[in-house]
Amino acid sequence: MKTYAPTGLPAWEARGLLRHTPPESVPITFRLSTPGARFGAQTLDILITYGGVLLAIIGLTWTGAFSWNGLITFYALLTFFMRVPYYILSELVWNGRTLGKRMVGIRVISLDGRRLTPHQIVARNLMKEVEVFLPLATLFGASTMDIWLGGALSAWMIATLLVPVFSKLNQRLGDMVAGTVVVDNPRPVLLPDLSAQAAARGYEFRAEHLDIYGRYELQTLEAILREPPKSPEARKRVSEVAQTIRKRISYDEDLPESREWDFLLEFYRQQREYLESRHLFGDARENKFHAATGGQG
Amino acid sequence: MTPAAPAPAPAVDPIRSARFRTEREAGWLRLDVLLRKAERDGTAALGYDEALELASLYRQAMNALSVARAISMDKALLTYLDALCARAYLVVYAPQESLRGLIGRLLVQGIPQAVRRSLPALLIGALAMMLGAVLGAVLFDVDHSWFYTFVPGGLADGRTPEASTAYLRSTLFDGGPGDHDGLGSFATFLFSHNTQIAILTFALGVFLTLPSFVLTFYNGLVLGAFWQMFASKGLGYELAGWLSIHGVTEIAAICIACAGGAQLGLAVLLPGDETRRDALRSRGRDAVKLMILAGLMLVCAAVLEGFFRQIVQTTEIRLAVGWGIGALWFAWLALAGREARA
Repeated sequence: MKTYAPTGLPAWEARGLLRHTPPESVPITFRLSTPGARFGAQTLDILITYGGVLLAIIGLTWTGAFSWNGLITFYALLTFFMRVPYYILSELVWNGRTLGKRMVGIRVISLDGRRLTPHQIVARNLMKEVEVFLPLATLFGASTMDIWLGGALSAWMIATLLVPVFSKLNQRLGDMVAGTVVVDNPRPVLLPDLSAQAAARGYEFRAEHLDIYGRYELQTLEAILREPPKSPEARKRVSEVAQTIRKRISYDEDLPESREWDFLLEFYRQQREYLESRHLFGDARENKFHAATGGQG
Repeated sequence: MTPAAPAPAPAVDPIRSARFRTEREAGWLRLDVLLRKAERDGTAALGYDEALELASLYRQAMNALSVARAISMDKALLTYLDALCARAYLVVYAPQESLRGLIGRLLVQGIPQAVRRSLPALLIGALAMMLGAVLGAVLFDVDHSWFYTFVPGGLADGRTPEASTAYLRSTLFDGGPGDHDGLGSFATFLFSHNTQIAILTFALGVFLTLPSFVLTFYNGLVLGAFWQMFASKGLGYELAGWLSIHGVTEIAAICIACAGGAQLGLAVLLPGDETRRDALRSRGRDAVKLMILAGLMLVCAAVLEGFFRQIVQTTEIRLAVGWGIGALWFAWLALAGREARA
């Protein structure tokens, strides 16, 4: 997968994004999962697997079909299956999503953008065993342990846990070996078009009003307009925004409090139409500094 | 997904990008329905018409995304289309592997071919184990106290050089005064112990093969010391039976895991014409297959150990079962998946 910072976005907006160009040559964006989400998914998986084993053991004890000895053997067998094979099988069956990952809404994809090969899935999960489980089990399993060995194991665990935090694509060692990356499962949510809600509310903006702001401010305003204020504080913030905009664009008409929301909606619509048509004519205005920086405005 | 709220009838003309959106929205929503179905039940669940529809809607959505990036500043729309296209891309270009075909291919071709390709690495694994066993046996002969150095206390479980011949015999055959529970827990211990050894040998192989070799060698040491101790009491033949029934499979599994690790290490040490990273990646494929094989064999060994060793009580049958199963493994790995000679 050719990865590069999404073009046209400032670096801080592009962080955590992974772009891939499919054969259709339209770059699409994946959002890398945060280490927190992955940790959550891993915890859920551990709870599910060991919870399942515990329930099975309790169920078997209750039926009394096995002796104590048999139960121990059974437990050893189950925990064996619940570790690497569980992760491999679930990622195979659900195409890169274990149960925990499904709940958190993340998935594994291959860095080359093709289907996950079984080899990749096996490799990344075997490495997980080495990175996390074995040190953990050894650390908690041994009753007496050399302080050096304990320290070395702890250092190893901390180091492997820190790898995804510092790696550029949030990959852990297993991901690097397998050539995979964990991304948020894209969740398309189609929100209503704000420009359609703002029909004829009686404000007319002229070119000099609309020349001030750029794309970034427009989309910030969009984010504000997506959440109509419910509390008095929120209403106050919206009012501040509206008055600031009115002053900044030197809109000379009076703006009573009751009409501020309409003002913003209408301003959004006309600003967007204006910017979009400027954009079509090759005049891209990234933000309010467009006149100063590019000299294109 | 929240359905689009019905827009109030606009009194002015909708702007260009809003018109663009209303014209195509229905197609996107339909694509979303198809994607949901494909993600839930797999692409195989789609009918012929639906699959065609999916392909065409995917291209339209991609097209729309490209156009929207040029003409629209509606962030909600851009984010939506980006996510929709990313999801559709994964369904179209990264569909799920069919599990049945996958396992079949792996068993019939993948694993046996990988084993045959890794003969040098396998030789290293077997060599490590044999050297360890010979050295363990020799050292035990020289000085019995070596036993305590090699064999961890939990594993020995009372079977030390001081134990009486009768006691040692009883641990090999049930029905004697042997402690039933003790043997059972030993079996589980050995099983989980060997699994961990196998995984460790594999994973550590990447550090230049040496740790794999050492671990396998150590496993050989334990085995050799154990063997020699029983042999010194005249129980060598009986121990061979006791060990063979599962050990042929289990020890072979450890050797194979070591070979997997050695493959990784050899890729780092002797990458040939490739870069080390590429060599690691390409030989990693065989290494992983060897590891799967080792896992399979360990499971079989556990079943043999847990059930058959307790049921089968004569040494002759134990030997026959153990080596018979070993022969089956060998036949599978040596013969399966060979290309027909032209």
